[in-house]
Amino acid sequence: MMRSKHNGGLERPILETLGVGKVFGASRALDDVTLKVAPRGIHALLGENGAGKSTLVKCLAGFHRPTTGQITIGGREQVLRSPKDAHAAGVGMVYQHFTLAPNLSVLENLVLAAPDSHGKRAGRIDWAAERQRFAERIDDLPFDADLEATVASLSSGQKQKVEIIKQLCLGPRILILDEPTSVLTPDEADEVLGTLHQMTRDQDLAVILITHKMREVFAYADRVTVLRGGRVTGDDEIAALDADTLSDMMIGEVEIVRSPDRAPTATDRILLSVEELTADNDRGVRALDAVNLGVAAGEIVGVAGVSGNGQTELAQVLAGQRRAVAGRIRVHDESYGGTRAEIARHRLHCLPEEPLRNACVADMSVADNLAFRSFDGPGYSVGGVFTRRAPLARRAATLMERFNVKPREPRLPMASLSGGNVQRAALARELADDVDILVVTNPCFGLDVAAVAQIHAQLMDARNKGAAVLLISEDLDELLALADRLVVLFEGRVVHQCTREEADRRSIGQKMTGY
Amino acid sequence: MTSLHPGLRAAAESVLLIVMTFVVTGVLFALFVAAAGAPPSGVFYDIYLGAFGSWFSWQNTLTRAAPFMLAALCTALPARLGLLVIGNEGALVIGGVAAAAAGIVLNGVAPLAVQIGMFAAAGIAGGLWIAGALALRHYRGVNETISTLLLNYLAIALLLWLVGGPLHDPASLNKPSTPSIGSANMLGDIPGMSVHWGLVYGVVACALLFGLFRYTTFGFAARIIGGNVRAAQLNGLAVARITLTVGFLAGAAAGVAGMVEVAAVHGRANESLVAGYGYVGILVAFLARQNLAMIVPVAILLGGIEASGGLLQRHFELPDATTTVLQGTLFILLLAGESLRGRIFPIRVVERS
Amino acid sequence: MEHAADLGWWGVPLALLAGAIRSSTPFLFVSLGECLTEKSGRINLGLEGTLVMGAMTAYAISFVTGSPWLGVIGAAGVGLIMGAVHGFICGLPRVNHIAVGIALMILGVGLAFFLGKPLIQPSAAQLPGISLGAWSDSRAVQAALNVNALFVIGVILAFVMAWVFRSTRIGLAIRTVGDSRDAARAVGLDVKRIRLLTTAAGGALAGIGGSFLSLYYPGSWNEGLSSGQGLMAVALVIFARWDPIKCLYASLLFGGAGALGPALQSVGVSTGYYLFNAAPYLLTLMVMVASSSRDRALAGAPGDLSINASS
Repeated sequence: MMRSKHNGGLERPILETLGVGKVFGASRALDDVTLKVAPRGIHALLGENGAGKSTLVKCLAGFHRPTTGQITIGGREQVLRSPKDAHAAGVGMVYQHFTLAPNLSVLENLVLAAPDSHGKRAGRIDWAAERQRFAERIDDLPFDADLEATVASLSSGQKQKVEIIKQLCLGPRILILDEPTSVLTPDEADEVLGTLHQMTRDQDLAVILITHKMREVFAYADRVTVLRGGRVTGDDEIAALDADTLSDMMIGEVEIVRSPDRAPTATDRILLSVEELTADNDRGVRALDAVNLGVAAGEIVGVAGVSGNGQTELAQVLAGQRRAVAGRIRVHDESYGGTRAEIARHRLHCLPEEPLRNACVADMSVADNLAFRSFDGPGYSVGGVFTRRAPLARRAATLMERFNVKPREPRLPMASLSGGNVQRAALARELADDVDILVVTNPCFGLDVAAVAQIHAQLMDARNKGAAVLLISEDLDELLALADRLVVLFEGRVVHQCTREEADRRSIGQKMTGY
Repeated sequence: MTSLHPGLRAAAESVLLIVMTFVVTGVLFALFVAAAGAPPSGVFYDIYLGAFGSWFSWQNTLTRAAPFMLAALCTALPARLGLLVIGNEGALVIGGVAAAAAGIVLNGVAPLAVQIGMFAAAGIAGGLWIAGALALRHYRGVNETISTLLLNYLAIALLLWLVGGPLHDPASLNKPSTPSIGSANMLGDIPGMSVHWGLVYGVVACALLFGLFRYTTFGFAARIIGGNVRAAQLNGLAVARITLTVGFLAGAAAGVAGMVEVAAVHGRANESLVAGYGYVGILVAFLARQNLAMIVPVAILLGGIEASGGLLQRHFELPDATTTVLQGTLFILLLAGESLRGRIFPIRVVERS
Repeated sequence: MEHAADLGWWGVPLALLAGAIRSSTPFLFVSLGECLTEKSGRINLGLEGTLVMGAMTAYAISFVTGSPWLGVIGAAGVGLIMGAVHGFICGLPRVNHIAVGIALMILGVGLAFFLGKPLIQPSAAQLPGISLGAWSDSRAVQAALNVNALFVIGVILAFVMAWVFRSTRIGLAIRTVGDSRDAARAVGLDVKRIRLLTTAAGGALAGIGGSFLSLYYPGSWNEGLSSGQGLMAVALVIFARWDPIKCLYASLLFGGAGALGPALQSVGVSTGYYLFNAAPYLLTLMVMVASSSRDRALAGAPGDLSINASS
């Protein structure tokens, strides 16, 4: 359903995409996308996960070549074969994952990105002059950056600011920001967006802002384009829209799937207990700080938080993939060490995020992957020593049928499955038998609505049967729909707890960002 | 093509790549020897003759292949865990010294007991050597390729010090070495051929370990660890125990290669033990694509190439470095060919949903 | 050191210094070459083959032309080619870098021995030394302070390389490519090309290191010429924390350890000879154990240098 208003401005758009389409293998990521970005102002690109926003901007930044359609910048049609071409055309992009060299200093990263005043490519660097030059540039912006600090020692928010500074120093005509505020505190987010807003008023700068937060769109954007399923479903000036209309454009006519039925359960026994758990992340920085958490039988406890606040590390410690620095995990009132025997005895299963990377072996077949929990058990091995392939193959076929993993060919390598099917296969392995405790992280990331509904139903099913489910998710809606109790993790600490009835979206959102 | 079983497609690709590698190697080597003034067809014929042309050449080949098989295991086994160990030479040397020492200590006891003692000493010494490196890797994150490389040099230094000092046989003036283990204790030949029992050790070791990794839960767990250690941790697999065990087996195999050199060839331990067999073992492992079933045939192939060196020298006055050049070329082309994997018969999954 | 006995116990440190300077020269060049390569995120385990090929080439050219310096240049050229081959093959997808290094080592050594067969007997023109000890009357001191020209070049090179890394755009580009491939690509650097160039240059330096062995000390060509300096370079660079100046000091240390044995032998101490030879390897291993941690990368290591890399 398209609602667009005639672009009343007299200015020619600085960037236009006409009928752009992008196909990856069998899937169509973009379909006939037409976008017009004015030379000044903030143009928001809004949409759910998987709507195609990232793909579109990657085409604009030279990472992908569109399969169909054309891109026009500054009135001239452009063929962008690489990020270099995009830079030359005046497009700068700040990515979601950082592209800073971790062991170099901020100054070194900036000098690398921005040629010096003489434009020399291989010559001597006058560090004193460069330091001066960049210090002045940074003074002009309300951002602050320690030029001498090593990038690895910066927080995500600080890194984001350095990335933005880096791009601004190149003097782009169009600056694309991919979900920049997901790693910023609310104050930082306002700082950044506010400054950019002002910059687009003061100079010839167009900003394309990818976001899924309506609040930002209404506060800072001038115009918004909404994508859904790779298509443009709405394009208008902010002044002409309200929240409901915008929501319609985003969600469309998909019937809201009912939350799975919640059965009454007896939740008196604590099955999983996390006590004073402390752990560091890969860089040696403290990620979990004396976290205390308990999950009882027959309940789903949701762990909410902005990505990077310790959720990954919490899941990894519970899954035995990271050693805790201090603290204990108790399961069924016993100390838990994550050995195979304990996993079998306590029936504790984990489904990490990005299962292909964290829970599967990409080169091994689907059947083999499905066998990880059971290959040495009775019935699938002789005396726990010799493997029996036939029973394992049969079990794999059954599981794939039950959990709808496609294609139904168990001998294919795991890596050849699509994201959704990998997720289903991983879930199949964990839910195949009854579990007592289930730890799940971001299970529905990047999946379509139908798959999401299926997985939610399975999680609720496990809970109804009496399992203790710990659901760690960056999707607040998912948590609000499924969890019996909610816990908010911020900078490695539990900062808020509430039950389902008490849950207030606004206050949880604030706690997630540190208020 | 898309309907072919994926395993079959991968196998077909492997065969094609191996054939292409050999053909290109052959062409390059032919150009090389032609430039050196020798007729390529004559050279290839001599290689064939010297390797497999007669029963005599076969025995020569098999004798050389024996230590290669065992040494190759030192790289091929840790490769299952995704680890790259190049300490074959060091483990071999340590095993050889331990065997010689055992021979000295057990002097006077029945020959079979001496041999068992040497075998055990070599296996344990070599096993601990490599297991130690893998322990450093597991507990301290020390890169196993670099550490086993360094351990090679330490092993050689240890050997030279021992045979020149504490284990020195005063009668050995020309080349310092341990006392001889005595001809009664030497490893004899397999009945019916003049190839020592070391060949059987090699073949049996490869067969047993192949079975271990293919048919047992231990092997399955090792595959998971090698494929994705996080997946292994998630499933509670005993990563430390399995890693150290594999390291021990790898080092023990190379150590036994050293024992074979002492007990079947030299009769004593000295610097002749440092013959580069360890490095050829690495080559064998890679040529066999770390596949335990392929080690025996590949080792025989390389043994054959080495065995033909003498013939090449006699007929065409080609130095014995010639076979080294052939090995190096083969190795490089094999590695470069790996980049074509997955591109010849690509797997394309068609979703019929 | 034949005259060391003249000075009694003073002979030892003097012999040690001379020996250190002498033995460290091949280490110096090979480690600077490997340092350059690894700074860009690539590891070259094949420098041993390059070293030996360089030695043979230098000897051959020096023998034919009578000029040792032409031999050095030839060795550098051969090293450049071998490094380029390594860099090219490693730039292909799914290629195991470590294995390529070992393969090149085998090939290089084989080729060198093959082509060098006729060079074992004849003697080629040698590289000159710079007499820094001319002020002394003692022959021992003069001999000890007779520094070979390549060492001086190497020292200068170490400082130049450090300066390039620190203060030039090329150095910054190399460091970025080695630290993070993503960061490098994001600013438009051609990662593959830069790594190819650094590996080739590293090979050239290793070739020069080899030329020292055949044209100064031991000063002849035979198949036992190298004592593994090419492979050791990898350990040395780790020991030196990827810093060219530290590579200089580490080379002196390793060279000195190697010279300790003969120096002590010259005053009659002969036990433990091999253990002194082993000292540098043991030291490197201990340093690695002390500074590695199972959860984090080695401090100072280029971020993209994963030693088990497959492209």
